[in-house]
Amino acid sequence: MGRGTIEKLGAIQQGELSATENVQQALDRIKKLDKKIKAFIELNPNALAEAEAVDCKLKRGEHMGKLAGLTIGIKSNINVKGLRATCASRTLENYVSPYDAEVIRRVRDAGGIIVGMNNMDEFACGSSGETSSFGPTDNPVAPGHIPGGSSSGSAAAIAAGMCDICLGTDTGGAIRNPASHCGVVGIRPTQGLVPAHGLIELAVSFDQIGPLAPDVYGAALMLETIAGHNPKECTSLDSPSVNYSDKLGIGIENIRVGTSSKFSELTDSAVMGVIDGAVEKLHDLGAEVVEVELPNLEKSLSAYYVIMFAEFFSATRKFDGRKYGRRIEEVCGDEVLRRITCGDYISRKDQHDRHYKRALQVRTLMRREFGEALNKVDVIVGPTVPKLPHQLGTKLSPAEMYAYDYLTSPINLAGICAGTVKAGEASGIPVGLQVQGKVLGEETVLRVMRALEAVK
Amino acid sequence: MAERKKEIERSAEEIVESFARAAEGLPKLKETYYNQETCNVSRPDGEPSSEEERTEFRKRFISIMPGSDEKGNLRVEVAKWVEER
Repeated sequence: MGRGTIEKLGAIQQGELSATENVQQALDRIKKLDKKIKAFIELNPNALAEAEAVDCKLKRGEHMGKLAGLTIGIKSNINVKGLRATCASRTLENYVSPYDAEVIRRVRDAGGIIVGMNNMDEFACGSSGETSSFGPTDNPVAPGHIPGGSSSGSAAAIAAGMCDICLGTDTGGAIRNPASHCGVVGIRPTQGLVPAHGLIELAVSFDQIGPLAPDVYGAALMLETIAGHNPKECTSLDSPSVNYSDKLGIGIENIRVGTSSKFSELTDSAVMGVIDGAVEKLHDLGAEVVEVELPNLEKSLSAYYVIMFAEFFSATRKFDGRKYGRRIEEVCGDEVLRRITCGDYISRKDQHDRHYKRALQVRTLMRREFGEALNKVDVIVGPTVPKLPHQLGTKLSPAEMYAYDYLTSPINLAGICAGTVKAGEASGIPVGLQVQGKVLGEETVLRVMRALEAVK
Repeated sequence: MAERKKEIERSAEEIVESFARAAEGLPKLKETYYNQETCNVSRPDGEPSSEEERTEFRKRFISIMPGSDEKGNLRVEVAKWVEER
C-alpha cells in the first residue's frame, strides 16, 4: 500500500512529492489494476488540473487544508458536480450531478483531489460488492473473493493503493464490512455527525458517510474534515468540532474495553480466533477487558432489514424516470427489486404495525441495551463480520447474504459510532476488529484502533 | 420478466415473515423513528444562491432530463405504470 498517510502528507508539504505527481501515480495505478479489480466507475477528467492548482498554492505558500494534495475516491452514491452519481445502477447511469454534496465541498476546501467515483453494490443493496450493474469488484488482498460491500470499490481502491482516502457510506455495515475483508480502516460515524446532504439515500435513518483509509491517521484526518454541523440539514448534530488525528497516540492505558459472549455465538471460529488475539493485545497495552451483556444482539438484523426495506421503498419512489434517469423497477437488479418489493409489502396499511412498528420497537431495545453496556465501558470490541468472504460468484440465498450484517447492523440501529481496523488474518484473508463507541465517542474509538494498529 | 417478478415477490414475503417471527417474544416498547431526539426542524432559510449558480444548476439539470421542450421546460407523459396501481 506504499507509505502511510502521515508520511505522504509530509512529503507533499515539504515539496518532495507534488500533488500532480501524486495524482498521476494514482491514475497510473488505476489504469494498471482496475480492469481486473473494478474499484472505479468513472475517473475525474479534471483531477490533474485540480492538482496543478493545489501545487501552485503550495508553491506560493498559501494556507492549505488538511488533505492538500491527497487523492480521494468517492462512492458513487454521493453527488460530485460534473461526475456521474450512478449508485452503480442502470437507473442513474447517465445522471451527472449538478451540485456538490456538503462533504465534497468540505473535501475540496481541505485541498483533497477527487480522482473518481467508486464502484459499489447497486443502490448500496448488498454486502458483497457483487450487485453492481458495472460488474463485481474483486478483493485486491484476497483475489477471487468478494471485497465486501456495499462500499466495495472504496475499500478495494484503498487496499490496492489506487488512492489515499475514500468516502463510503454505512447503512448497516457498508463501510466496516469491506474494510474488514480488504484489511483497511473504516469508520461509521455517529448518526448525524457527518452531513448527509447530497447523499443518494438507501435508508435515511441509518445512512452515514464516513472514511476508508489505509491507516487510522488517514481515517481520522478525513473524519475531522467532513464532520460537523450543517445548519441546512434538520438531522445534523450541532456538535463541537474535534481534532481526532492529534489524539491518536495517547494510548489506551486504563481504557475499559467490553467484550460479549454473543460475538462468539454468532461468529465462525477462524474469525473469532483472530479477534481473541487482538483483544489480548489490547489487554497487554493496558486496557481493562470486561464482559458486557448484549442479550438480544442477534435480533437486530431482522429489525434493521425491516426498517431499511420500508425506507428504501419510500426513497426509490422518486426514481420514476420522469425528471432524470430511468424507472428503477424496469432496469434494476434482483436484490434492489427484492428490497423494493419487501418495502412495498411492509408499507401496506394492513402490514405496517405488524412489521414496521414492531421493528421500531426493537430499535428502542437495541439503543437501550447498547446504552447500558456502554455505560460500563468506554468501547465494545468484537468481530466486524461473522465469516470470511466467499468466492466471487458463489450463489448465496438472501438470508445467507444478509447474515454478513449480523454484527454491524446493531450499531446503525443504536445510532452509535464504530470503526474497523485489521486484527490479523485467517487463511490469508484479513479479519477486522470492530471497535464500537458511544454517541460522539469517535475520539476513543480511533485511539483504540490506533493502539492496535501500532503493535502490528 | 413476469417469472422473475413472481419469484422475487415470493422470496420477499418469505423474508419479511421470517423477520417478523424473529421479533416474537421481545418486549413492546415505544417506537424509535430516528436516533436523534432533537431534530432541527426550524432551521434558518439562509441566503439564496447567486443568480449565476442558479443558472448553471438549471443548465446542468436540463442536460440530464429525459425530455424537454425548446424553452427548457421538463416534458413528461403519464407513466404507463400509473394505471396499473
